[in-house]
Amino acid sequence: MQRALVEIVLLAVLAGALGAWIVLRRLAFFTHSVGTATFPGLVVASAWGIAPQVAALGAALGFAGLRERMARGRESEEDAATGILLVAALALGALLASDVYRSGAGVDRLLFGTLIGLSDRDLLLTAIAAALALAADAALRRAWLARAFDPEGVRALGVAVTGPERLLLAAVAGAVIVALSAVGALLVSVVLVVPAATVRLVARDLRTLQLGAGALAAVEGVAALWLADGLNVAPGPAMAVLGGAVFALVAVLARGRRA
Amino acid sequence: MSDALVRVQDLAGGYRPGVDALAEVSFDACGGEVVAVLGPNGGGKSTLFRALLGELAHRRGTVELAGRPSYVPQTERARLDFPVSALDVALMGAYGRTPWFRRLARTDRAAAAAALARVGLEAEAGERFGALSGGQRQRVLIARALVQDAPVLLLDEPLSGVDAVSAARIEALFAELSAEGRVLLVATHDARQARAWQRVLCLNRTQVAYGAPADVLTSEVLQATYGAELVVLADGSTAVTVEHHEH
Repeated sequence: MQRALVEIVLLAVLAGALGAWIVLRRLAFFTHSVGTATFPGLVVASAWGIAPQVAALGAALGFAGLRERMARGRESEEDAATGILLVAALALGALLASDVYRSGAGVDRLLFGTLIGLSDRDLLLTAIAAALALAADAALRRAWLARAFDPEGVRALGVAVTGPERLLLAAVAGAVIVALSAVGALLVSVVLVVPAATVRLVARDLRTLQLGAGALAAVEGVAALWLADGLNVAPGPAMAVLGGAVFALVAVLARGRRA
Repeated sequence: MSDALVRVQDLAGGYRPGVDALAEVSFDACGGEVVAVLGPNGGGKSTLFRALLGELAHRRGTVELAGRPSYVPQTERARLDFPVSALDVALMGAYGRTPWFRRLARTDRAAAAAALARVGLEAEAGERFGALSGGQRQRVLIARALVQDAPVLLLDEPLSGVDAVSAARIEALFAELSAEGRVLLVATHDARQARAWQRVLCLNRTQVAYGAPADVLTSEVLQATYGAELVVLADGSTAVTVEHHEH
């Protein structure tokens, strides 16, 4: 339980530092699909006893390379390429799990993760990713903000675009990979996207958005853990349901305030 | 480059291999000049700006500029749901001169506040950018360009769709900025407005004309520039029908 709480706090740091950029740069679909794309890698790693993060990294890099090649730098094609690869990854993972490695009940853990039973290595990797995300946010927040706000005019501001952009995508992919053990291939958005998307409904500035997203992710994570313990359900799905409910509630309240 | 702050010679370029979106463009603009860039949608105004910004590899010709230009996009393309204040946006003008490992300088913060005051938005500095009117947002984007302090400003239809107060303020600012010795290239569809400025550049995938408004703004040139989009009004003046599109 103690490890689960530490993991939640570390994931909350990622949710705050990167979640805001994910929603501002409209990378929610990218984030979700990187998570899903790791599924075949996780199946293979589970069967062969490889560290899941290593296999996930390989799968994520393969996904990023194929996506880039299919979209050929055209932003309009990126979503289509992402969608095709996401479906292909899910199908490949399902085939590997059911017909090749016969993963059985272990598939649930790969898809939805578990906050119970995390290893020291899981915590260490999440801590490293959280520290790197904070450092990247501190160093690159101006470039990321200018690019997100005005993609057309950012170069004229004399702000570097390509390097910071690649580092943002790499940071998001890294955050997805370390979150896999806790929330699985299908639920990384619950930590990295949903809290930031919720706070964005009411936040008026970037700092509030980041701090709020981190705090909300921590609260939802702890509440999900408590619910999972009390109701004997998996923590990942509990956090997903909770995150969705809080988002809906805040959306209704925010709309009511505007009306 | 003599006293010209912008010098373009036989420029040709485009987005697809072998297809020129713009060709045969040659003009000089000196400090103190406001240049109206007239042309139909797809006529090459944005392409010219991208070439001047160094974002379009041109196939032929040369572009010489006295320093990095600043660019003011159309406000209607700005993201209104963004959690930034007017001051945050103005401060972006200082990003290019601030290394990633440094905080923004106090002088830059002061410059951003002064730029907002100059466009008449001192009181709105803390307002969320998206909550401002279209004209106010346009003025904030101009303030961002002022913070950049560039010798050449490229403005993409800064007066289209803005309220009368903002339009008057922006036009007065153009006069002030040109009096400071800067060059302003202003993409516009308003030929009448262009008459008040020093130079007019007419583009329709190629350069139709360039020169003083009195020489350039003839019905023949406007006809060649706008073709079917040109409407002759009953009083003999001309108007242009424009449909906005995404570039």
